[in-house]
Amino acid sequence: MNCPGAGVTIRRMNAVVYTDRDQRRVSRVVRDLIRSRELFVDLVWKELRIRYRYAVMGFLWAILEPVAMMVILTFVFTMVFADKAAAFRGGDTRPFAVVLLCGLVPWQFFATGLSKGVQSLVDNQNLIKKVHFAREIVPLASVSTCLVNFTIGFMLLVLVHVVLGGSIGVGLVWFPVVFAIEFVMVIGLVLLLSCLNVRYRDVGYIVGVAIVFGFYATPIFYTLDLVRHLGEAHPVLVRLYMLNPMALLIGAFRQVLFENRFPDVSLLIWPGVAAAACLAIGVVSFRRSGPLLSDYL
Amino acid sequence: MSIIEVDRVTKRFRPRRSMRAMFGRGGLTEILRGGEGAHQTALDDVTFTVEPGDSLGIIGRNGSGKSTLLKVLAGVTLPSSGHVTVHGRVASLLELGAGFHPMLTGRENVYLNAGLLGVRHAQVEELFDRIVEFSGIGDFIEQPVDTYSSGMYVRIGFAVAAHCNPDIFLVDEVLSVGDEEFQGKCRQKIRELREQGKTIVFVSHDLSTVSALCDRVVLLEKGRMISRGSPKKTIDFYLRRIGRENGIHTMQEGRLESVFSHGRLSMYRDTDEVSGFSGFQAQVNCLGRWHNASEAQWEILERAENRCVARGTMMRLPLQYIWDMRLENGHLVWRVSLECERETAVEATEINLFLPEGYDRWHYGALAGRFPEILSSDITWMTVAPPSLECREVAALPRAGAALPPILATMATDNPQATLVWQNTDHVAGCRVLQVYAKAPEGQKTIAAGRHDLATLDVDFESGLDHIEARLKEAERRRTLRRGGLEARFHEGHIEIRHDGRLLTAAIHGYTSMLIGNLWADSPNLRWGAVEQTASSLRVSGESRRFPFRQDWEIAIEEGRVRLDIWLEALEALEVQEYHTSVLVVSDYIEWETEHERGEFPEFTAGVEDWVHANRNYAPGAWIVARGASVPALTLRSALDDVPFRMTAINAGHHQQARVLQALRTSEGSPLRFEPGRYHYFSGAVEVADA
Repeated sequence: MNCPGAGVTIRRMNAVVYTDRDQRRVSRVVRDLIRSRELFVDLVWKELRIRYRYAVMGFLWAILEPVAMMVILTFVFTMVFADKAAAFRGGDTRPFAVVLLCGLVPWQFFATGLSKGVQSLVDNQNLIKKVHFAREIVPLASVSTCLVNFTIGFMLLVLVHVVLGGSIGVGLVWFPVVFAIEFVMVIGLVLLLSCLNVRYRDVGYIVGVAIVFGFYATPIFYTLDLVRHLGEAHPVLVRLYMLNPMALLIGAFRQVLFENRFPDVSLLIWPGVAAAACLAIGVVSFRRSGPLLSDYL
Repeated sequence: MSIIEVDRVTKRFRPRRSMRAMFGRGGLTEILRGGEGAHQTALDDVTFTVEPGDSLGIIGRNGSGKSTLLKVLAGVTLPSSGHVTVHGRVASLLELGAGFHPMLTGRENVYLNAGLLGVRHAQVEELFDRIVEFSGIGDFIEQPVDTYSSGMYVRIGFAVAAHCNPDIFLVDEVLSVGDEEFQGKCRQKIRELREQGKTIVFVSHDLSTVSALCDRVVLLEKGRMISRGSPKKTIDFYLRRIGRENGIHTMQEGRLESVFSHGRLSMYRDTDEVSGFSGFQAQVNCLGRWHNASEAQWEILERAENRCVARGTMMRLPLQYIWDMRLENGHLVWRVSLECERETAVEATEINLFLPEGYDRWHYGALAGRFPEILSSDITWMTVAPPSLECREVAALPRAGAALPPILATMATDNPQATLVWQNTDHVAGCRVLQVYAKAPEGQKTIAAGRHDLATLDVDFESGLDHIEARLKEAERRRTLRRGGLEARFHEGHIEIRHDGRLLTAAIHGYTSMLIGNLWADSPNLRWGAVEQTASSLRVSGESRRFPFRQDWEIAIEEGRVRLDIWLEALEALEVQEYHTSVLVVSDYIEWETEHERGEFPEFTAGVEDWVHANRNYAPGAWIVARGASVPALTLRSALDDVPFRMTAINAGHHQQARVLQALRTSEGSPLRFEPGRYHYFSGAVEVADA
């Protein structure tokens, strides 16, 4: 249909049916997402523009942030607690800064992706109240935006690794594979928690606290081996610890980086299962409550 | 195929839970039991369809579910049950700021907003300039929108939505945030979209916009659709329904119902609207500008089943309208007063009763006629009956078949300037208007502080045609004398004379006139009082508006003649150049004769409107007679022996088609001087000889 007034050709008319059941059907997720792909790109762009707007240094913060964390933590654990840290690390000869950064970069993605993703629906309520579209793309876009920071962090990691005498090889291709598991897990969690957060804003605070807790319950400034060594003294605690998929994933990341090989399968099975479960639960629960989100915003 | 189908849609909201609700009494156990708490029903079983190209208005009070309905149509939320089918692309303007991110600039938001509405970047680029131009935002487009005012949000939002070429355009109340100019622009754009065949769903509290822009209107109340149909019908229904709100009151008595709403009164009889387009309203002219009562801030002082007293405080004027409205026995009694805080410049006041075009005959005092048809070339109002200060009673009769009652209106007023006027409006309004017009007298353009009653109108909707005609006949009868075949009727300074039912007089009939200071003071221009009738005579007096004199007329009927006795009462010393008493007769009179000479009236000449004398001999006389073949001889005879009258035969203008018999008193050189007192002005008769 061509309209002389606007000069824009519109697409073929397609009927949308709004009923309680129809819009909540899980089977429609993929189709809805494909339809909303252009909007998804818009949203990612929007997030990127907003993230460092009004910051004088702009995108430099994507580098400065992990560097600053690395410097601080390296300083604390190699200077302040110098003698304790030596005992802590046992015979590990790998440079602490690289070990730290290798845990920090994936963790930062997990933490920022989760916290921003959980808030994304509330932050973008203006868009949700405007028209009908697949609401999933809002948290998806929010998490995807964090990929940019992760990529920058990853390049920084490789750089520091090389500078401090490490070697890189073909084995590094396994890094994105491990990361894919983490990504799927974050998406699943965000889908589940973001719509829950719309109804119960407590969720956002709980996630904030959980992230702080997770920072210590994940081998970031220490190694997974250290925890394993504690296994004989506190078997139950360690078993609980190992339920944290991020702990295993960071172990896997370190194996990929330092040993240039596919990580131990034992480190991937549980996170893989957990990620798949999160995604399934996330998608289903989001489908159930997604169309009614605007009622709570 | 309908473009929007809404099928038994119900929408319930669960109450949001706070800490208190969760842990308060029973809250937690209820949640554990899976209870849902009390639902709020925003939409309750709503069903309708919208055809492509339709524009649908949704009206209703706050909280009636209008916005929820729009959200359901936009797919922003889902119905709890029932279903909505929407064919085509929807653009919406729902909440203020919806579709915007405050940290992005106006430009970025245009792209984002258009993206939400399904328009791609490449297309937005084409439209971008037009969008910005329409919004009138100018250079602000590069600023983050969190610096925007709410008006600017709406400007951008509307501009984007309107230019994205949607199939369906949903507009919520937000438009009212914009300024007057922009709202006008939006209405224009919506009209354009309508013409392009777009479907529009429009929510507004501005009922006039709704009625102007929508083909159909849906009325929601508490989530239920209680009425739908043409804008006029639904809005009427709505206005009557919302009676209890401030500034609005519905009165009812018998078959009559009347809705007062913010300075406008609508009348209904058996649910048919009797008032026209703009209802009954009032306005006041201060310093050259008309201020309508509907611009005032109204509050209801007194409400009753059949009565309402309301006060409207005019903006920026030290004036208040007080309207006292009452329905009783099929009458509307409406008193309009002005209350001034201090002395106020008021040049004129108007009370306008707009009536539908279905009224086609008017009565005005003893006059009656048909309203001229309102043509598309009528761009101004037109007075249909000559206004008279004496007229206190008017009526309007409906065209055969119109569902309208005959209306009889009487006015009571202390204001000597108040005049009833019948008007036709311009073509667009297309109404008959009964107007009470009062202009401030010359040299007195202010009214004092305090309360002034403008007029009390008693409008009778029940009496029916016969009663009205009987009353008007009665009024006419009171001014008419009859004897044998002869009949004389006084009307506002004229005397009409009939013989065997045939009107012998023409144009301005019998009348008097005095030349004072080179101005003719004609008797029809005097302000005439009530007619006093005895068995065979009428007495009436009229006062000049311009000069200090009165005339008392006594008209008596005798066998074969109408006697006339006219006194002049000079209230101050009066200098009169000349004066006369004249009878204009129909053009069938061909010959004239006086004591001194005789002759024939000449033919009328087209284009000659001056009166042409036929006499040669101007010696004073006592009589003049006119004769014609088909008419009885008519004589004007003076009985005042001490006053010399020049009996004159005159041909009136071509337009008037009348012959004039005149008894003229001239002043030879110096004017005639009347000291204050009473003088015999004329005494004599009009004699009609039986043929």
